[in-house]
Amino acid sequence: MAAPLASANLALLRRLTLAALLMFAFAWGLIPLYRVICEATGLNRVVSADGLPKEQAGLSARPVSLVLDATTEAGLPWQVRPLTRLVAGRTGDFIQLEYEITNNSNRRVVGQAIPRYLPAEAAAHVRKLECFCFSQQAFSPGETRRFPVVLVIDKALPAGVDSVTLGYTVYEVPSGQEGRGS
Amino acid sequence: MAMTDIAQAGHGHHGKPQGLARWLFATNHKDIGSLYLWFSFCMFLSGGVLALCIRAELFRPGLQFFQPELFNQFTTLHGLIMVFGAIMPAFTGMANWMLPLMIGAPDMAFARMNNWSFWLLPPAAALLMLSFIVPGGAAAAGWTLYAPLSTQMGMGMDMTIFAIHIMGLSSIMGSINIIVTILNLRAPGMSLMKMPMFAWASLITAFLIIAVMPVLAGVVTMVLTDRHFGTHFFNAAGGGDPILYQHIFWFFGHPEVYIMALPAFGIVSQVIPAFARKPLFGYASMVYATSSIGVLSFMVWAHHMFVTGMPAAAQLFFMYATMLIAVPTGVKVFNWIATMWEGSMSFETPMLFAVGFILLFTIGGLSGVTLSVAAVDVQLHGSYYVVAHFHYVLVAGALFSLFAAIYYWFPKMTGRLYSERLGKLHFWWSLLWFNVTFFPMHFLGLAGMPRRIPDYALQFTEFNQIASVGAFMFGLGQLIFLFNMLRSLRHGAPAPQLPWDGANTLEWRIPTPAPYHSFVEAPQLEVKENGVVVRLSGGRHEE
Repeated sequence: MAAPLASANLALLRRLTLAALLMFAFAWGLIPLYRVICEATGLNRVVSADGLPKEQAGLSARPVSLVLDATTEAGLPWQVRPLTRLVAGRTGDFIQLEYEITNNSNRRVVGQAIPRYLPAEAAAHVRKLECFCFSQQAFSPGETRRFPVVLVIDKALPAGVDSVTLGYTVYEVPSGQEGRGS
Repeated sequence: MAMTDIAQAGHGHHGKPQGLARWLFATNHKDIGSLYLWFSFCMFLSGGVLALCIRAELFRPGLQFFQPELFNQFTTLHGLIMVFGAIMPAFTGMANWMLPLMIGAPDMAFARMNNWSFWLLPPAAALLMLSFIVPGGAAAAGWTLYAPLSTQMGMGMDMTIFAIHIMGLSSIMGSINIIVTILNLRAPGMSLMKMPMFAWASLITAFLIIAVMPVLAGVVTMVLTDRHFGTHFFNAAGGGDPILYQHIFWFFGHPEVYIMALPAFGIVSQVIPAFARKPLFGYASMVYATSSIGVLSFMVWAHHMFVTGMPAAAQLFFMYATMLIAVPTGVKVFNWIATMWEGSMSFETPMLFAVGFILLFTIGGLSGVTLSVAAVDVQLHGSYYVVAHFHYVLVAGALFSLFAAIYYWFPKMTGRLYSERLGKLHFWWSLLWFNVTFFPMHFLGLAGMPRRIPDYALQFTEFNQIASVGAFMFGLGQLIFLFNMLRSLRHGAPAPQLPWDGANTLEWRIPTPAPYHSFVEAPQLEVKENGVVVRLSGGRHEE
């Protein structure tokens, strides 16, 4: 085989290897890219404060019941419970309720609560103004605290929905990851 | 270094090395191609046995033979083995064997690297197989290895991750070899816009592999660091996101679908003109269609994720982009049919498999278009409809095209004719039982049967029993193929140089069986589209 051809082959080999390495780097680059896209579009923003609903002309307030729940990730030594299981309210009104969290372990634990709604179509209409889920919560050993949650269920709640369940799942934030991700 | 490699492959050794060393240190593209093909056939049988275990368990509702944990390992390893162990290496093997012959090259560009590409595969396969016997068993998260399942399982998952790394490396090296060979080693006169469609398909596939296998390697590495090194890429509790795994995986996964389909298109584009005795209709549009499928394949990944809660705008984008792929694919199907139109067709085994491919692949394509509709996919996602869909494109698509290729080129590879009678039996048997196996799965999926579950509701029993019977018969039929190959290798009638009178590409212009060192000196060629040789001069071969 002629030398010029062999060196042309090698040059192409280098370029293709470089392309493969760049694509490997691209896979890792997708991580920050994903975070930036989610932040820019607000797609993943499940735990930030909502604004008050605009005055919705033509929609009248109606009774709605709110069922409260909480679970903890396996291994998180916390007890999380709502002080009331069921709240009767009206759409468009402020609803205030309380959750109590106890750290049952003898170590400092940081947790993050993620809210979830049933039925899913109610999610867009529950507007949380105050919530312990907006930030990570640090608990010293054996500490108990109560958190107020203030929310408004806006009047555009779909007609078939008379009862909304708000459930929190609480995760432990591993040490070293505190302050990230929310 | 490369120079000495090629020199050795081309001029250094005269005659074949003997014994184990011939295979272990193989640098000859034909030897390596044969290794690839035999390896992938072994993997095909292994993955097939796993499939039969799945179908045995699903013959009746309730749990008969396997616990759910083991069943999940079967579905996972069946997928991984068939995708990375059977289909992909088989196409690489076919490319290794035939590309240099079809474009007039002495060998693959990097013969030593070619040896490495192959010999990385058996250790990877061993890792996958051995993972069944380690504590916790093999990976059981489905072939997609979704987080957070894959971040939790036992060491079988680690072995799977390493196997994917190794197989990825192998296919990247194989692809670099294919690209350099096609771009730099074509004989004078074999221009890009004249070369055979199989070369075009292999070239574009190789580019896809180089673009996405590193992404798969990256994402499974993240799973590995999540498992062992305290990172939280996909762990919600640590600020990561499991949905991110799906995005990165399917950025690899969708082009991967075309990595398994494009070479099939290439093979069929060689076989159909040979047996219709007409030039391929619309060669240039075939090239452009193949390229545009390659480009579009990077823009549709999230259609695998319609149920993850994407915004409607994103769903619409991915839905329309996916539907768009039906256009170039339709162009190809149209061209194949137009090639056959008014051709003087004969139906030897390769042609039967190629025509069967067109029919069944189109059915798989249509169910694909159905699934691309986001509103419909929400219903069908994760159901047996999806299983039916991708088996129509992978078994009746990729696998049938491979059978067509083996039968078509068998005389040139071995110097002997296979048994036409057994070949036809193999085709009709496969065609019948393939449909018996997979067609009822459409109905099961539409009725709501979920995939990857060892048990099912009673009303699904009949269709599952039909599918299980079909699967066992289909599996049995592959032994006809094995028997035909083994017997014809030893006792087949000697093949003439041109066993198919309609075949007119370069590989049919060399003696049969193909000389060990073909095109030691490049020929001077005048070719028409799809590699049809008009005039050939020079071109020396050595045994």
